[in-house]
Amino acid sequence: MSEPRTGRRHLLLGASALGLGALAAPPVLGQARPFAGQTLNGAAFQSTFFEYLRAFFPEFEERTGAKLNFNTQAFPVYNQRTDLELSTRGSALDVINVTFIYSGRWIGAGWLTNLSEFVNDRNRTDPAWDAADFVSGAQSAMQDARGNTYGFAWEAGAMLMAASRADLIDQAGKAMPTTFDELIAACDAVQGKENMSAFVADQLHHWNWIPYLMGHGGKVFRDPPGNLTPELATPQAIRAAGWYAELLSKYGPSGVLSFSDDQAMRTQIAGRANFRTQAITWLVPLAKHADSTVKNTVRYALMPAGPQGNFPGSNSHGLGIPVGSRRKELAWEFIKWALSKEMLNRIVETRGYPSVCRRSVITGEAFKQAMTLNGQDVASLYLQVLELGGRSGYMKYRTVPVFPQVGDTINRGIARIATRQQDAQASMRQAQQDAIQVLQRAGVTLDAN
Amino acid sequence: MATNTALARERRFIQILAVVLAALVMAPFLWLLQMSFKTNAQVFQFPPPLIFTPTLENYEALWTSGFRQSFVNSLVVAGAATIAPMLLGVPAAYALSRWQARIAGTFSLWILVSRMAPPIAFTIPYFLAYRHLELLDTRTGLVIIYMTFNLSLVIWMMRPFFDQLPRALEEAAWIDGATTAQGFFRIILPLSAPGLAATAILCFLFAWNDFFFALILTRTEAMTAPVAVVNFMNYEGWEWGRIAAGGTMVMLPVLLFSLLVRKYLVHGLTGGAVKG
Repeated sequence: MSEPRTGRRHLLLGASALGLGALAAPPVLGQARPFAGQTLNGAAFQSTFFEYLRAFFPEFEERTGAKLNFNTQAFPVYNQRTDLELSTRGSALDVINVTFIYSGRWIGAGWLTNLSEFVNDRNRTDPAWDAADFVSGAQSAMQDARGNTYGFAWEAGAMLMAASRADLIDQAGKAMPTTFDELIAACDAVQGKENMSAFVADQLHHWNWIPYLMGHGGKVFRDPPGNLTPELATPQAIRAAGWYAELLSKYGPSGVLSFSDDQAMRTQIAGRANFRTQAITWLVPLAKHADSTVKNTVRYALMPAGPQGNFPGSNSHGLGIPVGSRRKELAWEFIKWALSKEMLNRIVETRGYPSVCRRSVITGEAFKQAMTLNGQDVASLYLQVLELGGRSGYMKYRTVPVFPQVGDTINRGIARIATRQQDAQASMRQAQQDAIQVLQRAGVTLDAN
Repeated sequence: MATNTALARERRFIQILAVVLAALVMAPFLWLLQMSFKTNAQVFQFPPPLIFTPTLENYEALWTSGFRQSFVNSLVVAGAATIAPMLLGVPAAYALSRWQARIAGTFSLWILVSRMAPPIAFTIPYFLAYRHLELLDTRTGLVIIYMTFNLSLVIWMMRPFFDQLPRALEEAAWIDGATTAQGFFRIILPLSAPGLAATAILCFLFAWNDFFFALILTRTEAMTAPVAVVNFMNYEGWEWGRIAAGGTMVMLPVLLFSLLVRKYLVHGLTGGAVKG
């Protein structure tokens, strides 16, 4: 039996391999537990993603030596608290959720750390992490006008159409609608069948109505984010508002104008309403929720297109670092770990998470399997919508800091028409006036006409 | 005889009307209560079933979640924010009531000023000060805030009660050798019991029901029950059963407290309205 010999050649080879390995690995990972003793304070709104991710937190703590203190709160509670924390440049939080509707305000005010500096620094980020892998539609809300990135998306809401009882549509001899006219025809055909309303939506008209507005050739602002002159009283906007209000009042269940997201989803799950156009997060439960009575009859499709094209809404929420954080390096390690291809693939494989934003994961087998709903490939529909939003930039209106206030005027405008308090023309003129007032109060310069 | 029958009929009509009105007023609470005993699927059944198999799963979920700690926080904070202002404010109200100087009125008005500004005006200063003092997310921080608001309420509620009590009572006690403090504690306070009860309830209610300051100044450790209930509104779906159970639990202590001191409450709220 011969003894293993360590010759000079072996020693040289070993030393070379060690040297190459040290060069290839980012320095921070070269150290053993580089963040030992530090605590990372994070916050986000409650979502299944963070619930799933939490199960892997011990791995991050083991790898870095840091302790994770990550709190999740209800959506409105989180936004209120974080907005205050950021506006006072606090250091209580190191990693936060960059909420879509606040991203313009938070980035514009300089309250978030420029992550492009971290991504472009090889010492901090291994190029294999592949920042370009995030779908452009999801990332557009996380960037400023110069293209700097302030967050990486963990969730994307891509607006699709779902029919909870596609069997009723088949029975009526109709197909899944691809145009606005076909949607009305399909609603006519299934309205009242088996005590179901043909259409349901929640009360956030400033999200649900805009794709219909754009499909009719209208827009919210003249040329966002540079020119925020509202365009709510144009002939196209008036026509779109009247059309959508009619859709709600004629085909919606009673009380539809006050429905929350959840109520609308529950109505579909219970088989009380058929069509809905909404972000995928609210449509997947039709096929997967334990309480769903429509698992075997649900069908998905792209949003129907209007005379001027198809503009399905898309949004995203990301992870970012407050500018006041004192542990930015650790926060970046967390973001890299949480949104790595490996971690996202694990979450998709183990929990079937439906809203990931990395192209390589979306096009992967695990995601396709998780998003094959009632025999239908919904993953490809999801990717199409995200890419559409990223390419054409039509979602820019949604992240301007003043949109929430303008959105309120839109909500009121649609509600006035649907409740027959005003006709479409009068109501949208009122909405236009209200929007102008709101914008002027916010100090926004508007065009004279 | 006919008059008696008409009177009886009228009385019965009024009684039925009272029951109907009470049911209407109570309807939101009763709806919430029955929702708290339903599963999420039952909550969304249409038409809503009036007879169903009740479940305690929502209450069990509250007990095993962070809501339990938030409920304790609410009890501690609201209790302290009632007791402390009462201890400070009641003697202050008595002193102001017996103060003969012309400045006493102006002084009282300044005390009331703290309640005139909208709470939102104090948010940022409180938030910044608390962050500096490390009082964010602490029960102490919340108690201090509620105390500042409740103190003026106590003084303004209790002063008219003391005003209406004849000075001759204290003077008689003093003649009998009682000190000022003894006169206050042994003669005046027992006579002001309805006022004390009504004031304590209002203080408790203010602290118990507050959402705004608890939302802004707490995170996880000192979160109170009203904020914890909102936490059942998840991004991907609301937990309606738990929201209803949490809402019921939030109402429960106030209801019990009010029932216990009901007798004093009515007297306390009307007492002091007419002097003498």
